[in-house]
Amino acid sequence: MDTIVFALLNGVIHGLLLFMVSAGLTLVFGMMGVLNFAHASFYMLGAYFAYTLQGIVGFGPAVVLAALLAGAVGVGVERWFLRRVHHHGHAHELLLTFGLSFIIAETIKLLFGNHPVDYRVPASLDFAAFSLGSQQYPMYRLLMGGVAIAMFAALWALLTRTRVGIVVRAAIYRPRMAEALGHNVQLVFMGVFGVGAALAGLAGAVAGAFYTTNPNMALEVGVMVFVIVVVGGLGSLGGAMLASLLIGVITSLAVGVDRSIADLLAFLGARSWAEGIGGLLTLKVSSLAATIPFALMLFVLLVRPRGLMGEEA
Amino acid sequence: MSRSWTLLLLGGGVALLAALPALLSAGLLNASIQMLIAALFACAYSLLAGRAGLLSFGHAAYFGVGAFATVHAMKALGGNGLLPTPLLPLVGALAGLVVGFVAGWFATKRSGTTFAMITLAVAELLHSLAPQLKGWFGGESGISAMRMPAWGLTFGSTVEVYYLTLAWVLLSLALLHFHGRTPLGRLTLALRENGHRLKFLGYDAHGVGLSAFVVSSMFAGIAGGLQAINNEAANYVVFDASVSAAVVLNSYIGGVGSFLGPALGAALMTFFGYAVSDATRSWLLYQGMLFVLVMMFVPVGLTGLFGAAARLKARRGWRLAVSVSALAVVATLCAAAGVVFVVEMLQRLCSHDYRALAAMGGSWPPIALFGRSWAPGSVATWLVPAPLAVAGLLGWAARRALVAPPVQPPEAAAAVDRQEALT
Repeated sequence: MDTIVFALLNGVIHGLLLFMVSAGLTLVFGMMGVLNFAHASFYMLGAYFAYTLQGIVGFGPAVVLAALLAGAVGVGVERWFLRRVHHHGHAHELLLTFGLSFIIAETIKLLFGNHPVDYRVPASLDFAAFSLGSQQYPMYRLLMGGVAIAMFAALWALLTRTRVGIVVRAAIYRPRMAEALGHNVQLVFMGVFGVGAALAGLAGAVAGAFYTTNPNMALEVGVMVFVIVVVGGLGSLGGAMLASLLIGVITSLAVGVDRSIADLLAFLGARSWAEGIGGLLTLKVSSLAATIPFALMLFVLLVRPRGLMGEEA
Repeated sequence: MSRSWTLLLLGGGVALLAALPALLSAGLLNASIQMLIAALFACAYSLLAGRAGLLSFGHAAYFGVGAFATVHAMKALGGNGLLPTPLLPLVGALAGLVVGFVAGWFATKRSGTTFAMITLAVAELLHSLAPQLKGWFGGESGISAMRMPAWGLTFGSTVEVYYLTLAWVLLSLALLHFHGRTPLGRLTLALRENGHRLKFLGYDAHGVGLSAFVVSSMFAGIAGGLQAINNEAANYVVFDASVSAAVVLNSYIGGVGSFLGPALGAALMTFFGYAVSDATRSWLLYQGMLFVLVMMFVPVGLTGLFGAAARLKARRGWRLAVSVSALAVVATLCAAAGVVFVVEMLQRLCSHDYRALAAMGGSWPPIALFGRSWAPGSVATWLVPAPLAVAGLLGWAARRALVAPPVQPPEAAAAVDRQEALT
């Protein structure tokens, strides 16, 4: 029982972190219809910025500064790269961000080496929050979840309760109309791109200390973020949240399940038949944990391509 | 270019490829095999991405399936009977075709970003499943098999494998080229230009897209099969996202707009990797930079530069075309030298060993690079790349000024404007 509660909690917090990374991506995606392949690179940049800065300014300020720096890089990418190839079409923008993600990963390898760096949770935050049975739950995990929830609340309030939010939402759903009404959609887009990058950077700075900070972390998270944006639906923040939590919880729970499809079929008395076939049927669910999100993504793309909460395209 | 010139160039190229084993060392010949395979894979990929306009991010799936099917066939049949070793890539083709049909059936129902995401999901699904399915993919260690003699050939030497690969690649390229000439190939182009209109004209747009997907994955399967024959093994790493990434980079660097562009791009980048990866660890960074620069400034790809030079010659005479091209090449080389210098210096400065050395001695020891040693703390060192970069930028600016069309008298410009407004 304890293990299930812990796995559930871990899944929720992992999902919240994934939401932090995907929030900016889903807004940009909704606005321009362009999937930014370099988005997860901002997550990685955030972790590396915070790692570099924490020795100079301390952990807390380093996290904030890292988010701001990642946001600045995002603005630069939009202003000097994406905007210049916009007239070549979506495929071209996609490919350009793909190339940029490559350059960012390789530059990090160049500067920090192709191995994990020693970026850790500071000792002052490294204690147990509560214990359940014999297991202790780290405070830092709760902190990560708290940051993500605070961010979601702030973003939600900004988008739905302020004038800026109205313009941004208008630019996401009806960019032409917003432009005709005299709003600078170009600027809104740059702003959203920058804020999205900053959020991803924040997520990286916070999560990098807990998980490992290495040059492949963008790749690992990147594909998962696409899964979330696609499953959640085009430009829908709520959808991104739902999909993040879903994927966080499913993968976290699946790791602990030591059963296979053959065990399920055993209820129907077909165990020996399933074991005879082997292959997928006898694989344990725990070893499929990495596969489930992609299967889910494929399923959603085929059955409901606009995603769980996306608008009809 | 006239038809006879094209044929002459093509014949010369094939003759050169056929003569390579006599000219190259075994190591270089092995690199040539890799280049040929990469070229075929890129051409198969760009049938889908370039000709049909369907951007796939998971083409490693069909390459990998072809490789595994070929290795299984190699192991089971031993290169005898109906399927001797030289025909083994047929198994790869069949596997690519079947898997491509299943995946493509669903993927081509959508287009644009959704299509790209489906292909990505399929490839990631395979990549994450493959190490678990030991029976099919041999787990983490993969599957190996032996090339068996057939048709009087032993396939023990690199030369024989090279000729086998060359024959398959040339045949496949010819077929891929031929596909563009068939009505189906023309319809594939139409799908890229306007799928709605194609549908409105009464064609089955899904079927056309699916056919492009299937043909593309079939030839990707052949490329995978050739790789399996060359390595005598296949490992789940062939499903890796980096394989899918490499084929995208290669094709677009070469240029998906022309038929041989992706092949040349892939051959160039594979050779680049072979030659440079020994010299520097940052070669993937150079590859990424090259890709982004091509995307930003030469969206038609490197082979598109030849076309641009030819157009310039037709418009402004060969004298200007040659001088401008030479200027561009020199400027690019200068800028590249500057960038390479900075990257290599940074790489050495940031390396583990150097930092340990610097921490131990308390100072910054000089760095050996390009045959001499440089003091990293001195300004003179960092002034080396600066003039190179400036020369490169100036060269490009000068080129742009030279290429710009001559200023027209106002009334002629107005006439052109009116013309453009009408069309």
